[in-house]
Parts: sequence; C-alpha cells; structure tokens
Amino acid sequence: MSEFDAIVIGAGPAGASAAIRLASSKKNVLLVEKSDPPGSKNVSGGVLWGSSLSSIIPDWEKSAPVERFVDTKSVAFLTQDSKIGIDFSSKKLQQKKTGYTVLRAKLDQWLARKAKEAGAMVINGVTVEKLHMENGKVTGVEQGGDVITSDAVILCEGANPRVAIDSGLHKRLSDRDVAIGVKEVITLPEATINERFHLKSGAGFACEYVLGYLQNGVEAGGFLYTNKDSISVGIVVSMSHLRENDATHSFDIIESFTGHPYIAPLLEGGNMQEYSAHLVQEGGIGSMPKLYGNGYMIAGDSAGFSFSNGLVLQGMNYAIDSGIIAADTFIEASKGMDYSESALKLYQDRLESSYVMKDMRTFKGIENVTWSPFVHKKVPAMLESLMLNLFMEEGKPKKHMTGMLLDAMSENDMLKASSIMEAYRMMRRM
Amino acid sequence: MVLEIIVMVKQVPDSQEVVIDPVTMNLNRSLTRNVTNSADENALEAALRIKDKVGANVTVISMGPPQAETTMIECLARGADRAILASDRFFGGADTYPTGLTVAATISKIGKFDIIFAGEESSDSSTGHVGPGVAEFLNIDQITYASSVEYEDGYVTADRELEGGTETVRVPTPVLVTVLLNSNSPRMQTLRRKIDAVKKGMEVWDHDKIGLQPEWVGVRGSPTIVRKMRPIKERERAAKKIDIAGLGDLARELYEKKILKLEEE
Repeated sequence: MSEFDAIVIGAGPAGASAAIRLASSKKNVLLVEKSDPPGSKNVSGGVLWGSSLSSIIPDWEKSAPVERFVDTKSVAFLTQDSKIGIDFSSKKLQQKKTGYTVLRAKLDQWLARKAKEAGAMVINGVTVEKLHMENGKVTGVEQGGDVITSDAVILCEGANPRVAIDSGLHKRLSDRDVAIGVKEVITLPEATINERFHLKSGAGFACEYVLGYLQNGVEAGGFLYTNKDSISVGIVVSMSHLRENDATHSFDIIESFTGHPYIAPLLEGGNMQEYSAHLVQEGGIGSMPKLYGNGYMIAGDSAGFSFSNGLVLQGMNYAIDSGIIAADTFIEASKGMDYSESALKLYQDRLESSYVMKDMRTFKGIENVTWSPFVHKKVPAMLESLMLNLFMEEGKPKKHMTGMLLDAMSENDMLKASSIMEAYRMMRRM
Repeated sequence: MVLEIIVMVKQVPDSQEVVIDPVTMNLNRSLTRNVTNSADENALEAALRIKDKVGANVTVISMGPPQAETTMIECLARGADRAILASDRFFGGADTYPTGLTVAATISKIGKFDIIFAGEESSDSSTGHVGPGVAEFLNIDQITYASSVEYEDGYVTADRELEGGTETVRVPTPVLVTVLLNSNSPRMQTLRRKIDAVKKGMEVWDHDKIGLQPEWVGVRGSPTIVRKMRPIKERERAAKKIDIAGLGDLARELYEKKILKLEEE
C-alpha cells in the first residue's frame, strides 16, 4: 500500500494543474516543489495563452493573479538604429481575451494554493533527489535517505529536469536543446504604462523582438510584456552561440536590448525589481523524452512542450494541458490499479489526439527557423534598407515598391536561389 | 520525567526583500515573503540538540496571524513535537509588552516547562524584549545572548558572548535562554519530516483558550506610541566602471580628492 496515490514533482503550471485535477478527483496526491514559495525560481516572460485553466478552475479569469490581457501583440526586428515591427491591436482581442501577461511568482503561488484547497498536500522547499524504483517500476521518490511511496509519479520539473535525467528517463540536455532566458521586471506606475503603450486599464502590450544588431553570429530574441504596474523585459539567447563566443555574455545582451534606442524610452524612469535567468526549452520534438513508462509520466517543459515561431512564445498552456492529461490518465489507470507502461500509454495517445502533440508535430523543425542567420541577420537588415529607401526623400526619382524590395533583398544576398529556397523552407515550417 | 522544552519563534518578513512603503512608512508586507526569524531557528536547533542528547519534548509557540502556519510546520519538520500558534484578532498591533504577556500566558497554559528558548531578537523589529519579558512574566531566571547551551541534571550551562570575553553561566531549570543569531547550524528539513509535519499540523489558541482579556493584549495592551517614522536615506553609489588600465588614473583622482590616502601620511 503506497503512502500517496500520486506524487507530482514540481509545482509549476504543469505540476499544479495535475495536482489540482488529481485532488479534485479525491486522489491522495503529494505535490513537491523545490522553491519556497512556489514560483520563486521560475522565470517565464510571460504570457499565458489560451484558457487551459478553465477545465480545472472554472472562474480562473476572475480569480487568477493575471496582470493584463493582451490587447496589442507585436513583433519587431531591431537593428542598431532602427525598429521595424508589426502591431496588432484589436477590439476582437478585447472581447475574446486570448492571452494574459502573468508574473510567475504570483501565478505559481496561487496555483499551489488552489492545489492545496483541492486537497493536495503541497510541500515546498525540498528537492526530490531521485525516483524510487522497484522491479523496473517507479514506486515513489527518494529524499534525504527516505522513500516516499506512491502508485505513480508525474514529473513536471520544468526546463531542467534533474530528477528525470538522473533517473535515466531523460537524456542530458545539450546546448541545442536549451536557450538561456534573462529577464528584468521593471516597476512603473500603472498610469505611466497605460500612457506609454496607449493602453486602457487592464489591457496589455506584448512584443517579441529579433535582435538583429548582435555581432559574431550570436542570435537572440527579446521580449517585452506589460504587467499591471511593471514591465517584464528580457532576452532569450541560444546556448550554443554563447558557448561559441567567449566574449559574448547574456547580461551584455540584455543590457544592449534594454538600452536600445527604441526600447530604453519604454522603460525610462522604472526601477528594476527583479533580475533573473533560466533555461528555456528549445529542442522541439527531436529532443523529447519518452513521455511515460512503468509508474511515471512526464509533462510540461520537462516533456519538451513549448512552442515558438518567432511571432509568439508559448509553454504554459501546453504545460497546463499536459499536466491535466497526465492526471486524467492516472485517474483512468487507477480504475484497474494498473500503472504499468502499457496502461500509461494512454497518456501518449491522449496527447497525440490533443493540440499539444499535434502542434509539436506540425511545427517540427521550427527551431531551425527561429534560430537562423536568415531571420536574425538578413531579414532585419533587408527590412531596414527597404524602409530607408521608402522613406528617405532625397529629391531623387522613386522606384516602385517591388523594385525597392528587390534592391533591398539583393543588397542582403537574398536573391540567390539558395536563399530563396531557404526562405521557402522556413515559411513552410512556420 | 521527560524534559519539557519550549521554543518561542516568530515569522518575519524576509529581511533581504523588505520594502518600505514611501507613503505610509510601513513595511509593505504584500511584496515580501515571510520566513522564520533566523535567530529563532538557532534557538530551535539549540533545543533539538538537547533533545538529541538527553531526550525532550519540544513545543514551539508563536504569536501571529494564521499565515505563520508555514513557520510552525517548518519547526515541526525540523524536529519539534508540537506547535501552538497564539492567534486572535485581539492580538494584532501588539508591541513587545503584550506580546511577552501573551507568550508567557500561552506557556503557563501549556503547563510544565524546564527550558524556554528564544532567539536573541527578531530581524524585523530588533528589540530583544520579548524573550526577557517572558522570563519576567513567568518569574524565572534568564540567560541572554547565549552562544552555546548544554543541559545536564537539572542545570543549563551556557556561554554568553560579551564585549571583551565570554561568560559561562550555570543556572538551574526552569530557565529562559535567548540564543545568538548564527550560533549553530539549523538542521535540514527533509521531505519525510515535512510530510509528517503537515499531517501533524499546528494548534491555534485564541485569547479565550489562553485565558487573556482582550484589553490586556494587542494594540489595546500596548504602551508604545509610534510618533513618526523616517526612512534611512540610501547613499548614492558612484557605480563607476573602470578599466584595469585606468586604475592608476583612478588612484590619482581619488588621491587628489583626498578620498584615498597614502600609507605614510
């Protein structure tokens, strides 16, 4: 007889959602989180897209500590001197709120509290050391020389899944699987943010940037999200590029971003409240571990569920839904008291028929687009020269738009057959 | 007879994250996370070491709002046997006098005790009043600022750190000991102990249970009146980035500004 029905490792969106679902179904569940309080070690940007939480917390939009709904979504390319972007603001986004900016320190604490209210035992400030195995089956966790037993374990450890790696359920992370995110939270009065970003109360701005001005082949993206009375601003830089360029440091990149002529004014006068860094899951479907086995399932970032096409970054929605699907699988398996690999295969099947795995498969290889010199170097430079040609009035005869575009593309080596093929392949992946 | 040890603990805002609201001059508690007062962790550890050696029943007590539960559970997870939180809206706004009274009354209500431990002071108000106050209310001896504490056959022997030396005292029980910050290394909490602590849970006692009149405690029982609070102005730092190559120039500049002095001057 196990002490718990299920043990969930990690109280992020995936783990907390799994625990809420399990506890709501009267399962005796232990949710263990290394940080104290939950969320204090997490660094999502972040925007929570979609309404995955509604299936476990029906009134979440009213009670969750969300900051602002995304009313203006932008993407922009930055060069040394310029910003070229697209803003999408829509009344339709006001009516159907599809994304909310969140601060994870608040959101994760709230989720853990919801898990506790649902009846889960929530323990923070302890790091599970490894999984407990008996006859090739996971039957609990080990910590401090003790074994805590359960019928199954759901691993929701985030981007750096130590326990899964140490237990041989996840391969060691390579530079290609992860990026580094560095984030600052900068406080500013609510009214100042509303004025600066042309936002009504409650409405928010979210933007992803390509930092096209970086040297030495270093590729990084930037993000800027408005919270109620603060701004989350940061960068995501490829781990392998950092490794290859000893002279390039992630902190220099975030400084160059927050100091950029078209970013700095947005942050002016604010106070830095938080400065943090975290691994970001990047590997895509190729680096996904096996998601289930005898007595265990893996969900959230640990499972590789994150999505970025350069226009939008998502992870929390996949985390929540995969956590819920893992919990539902457990509940189903508990009917026959069978938590073997063959019983838990249901988890994979359900993921496959949900948007979670469908997205992962549809966007297979997308990381080759989002991390490419084409997107990070050629496109920003080309767009800048195109825009300059369009708007520089120097009393010379003008060309048609197409002519200018072709000129700008040719200047940046984009008219070669190989470049066109590359662009075409990328478009298909997006 | 099992030795009965009581440890007084307090939940405080994490001193590394304290934010003072510039308008109200009060601590902005919504932004800071709550932790167990560090010196109290040393007090608990001192108690647990005696428990390890000679066996004892360790009860932690605190006065505070319900969210102090995390501190109480933490103390149980470190090895305390019982946790009692004196919590009541009447206790709110207390200065050190009614706090000492409330804690002392709670201890009296528990009944038998041999040693009471407390941290030397709390990190949020740093008065160091409450421990000695409790000893006075209970009319027992006290040893303050102890760096090491031993128990043997009805006597507590403790080193007291004083200016210019260490004083070793030996006092018969019952006695109250306040323990110096960082005088020992508190033991880790394990998952097993934490689970058991949550299962065990804490007891919550209100003024009625403890046997206190509402007018004796909390803000009504507090003789202190805070007239005014002023924040300390933070010194602006120059925060100058310097090149190693420019060190000589910087030294000269500092010397000329009389900030840096030469050894022989």
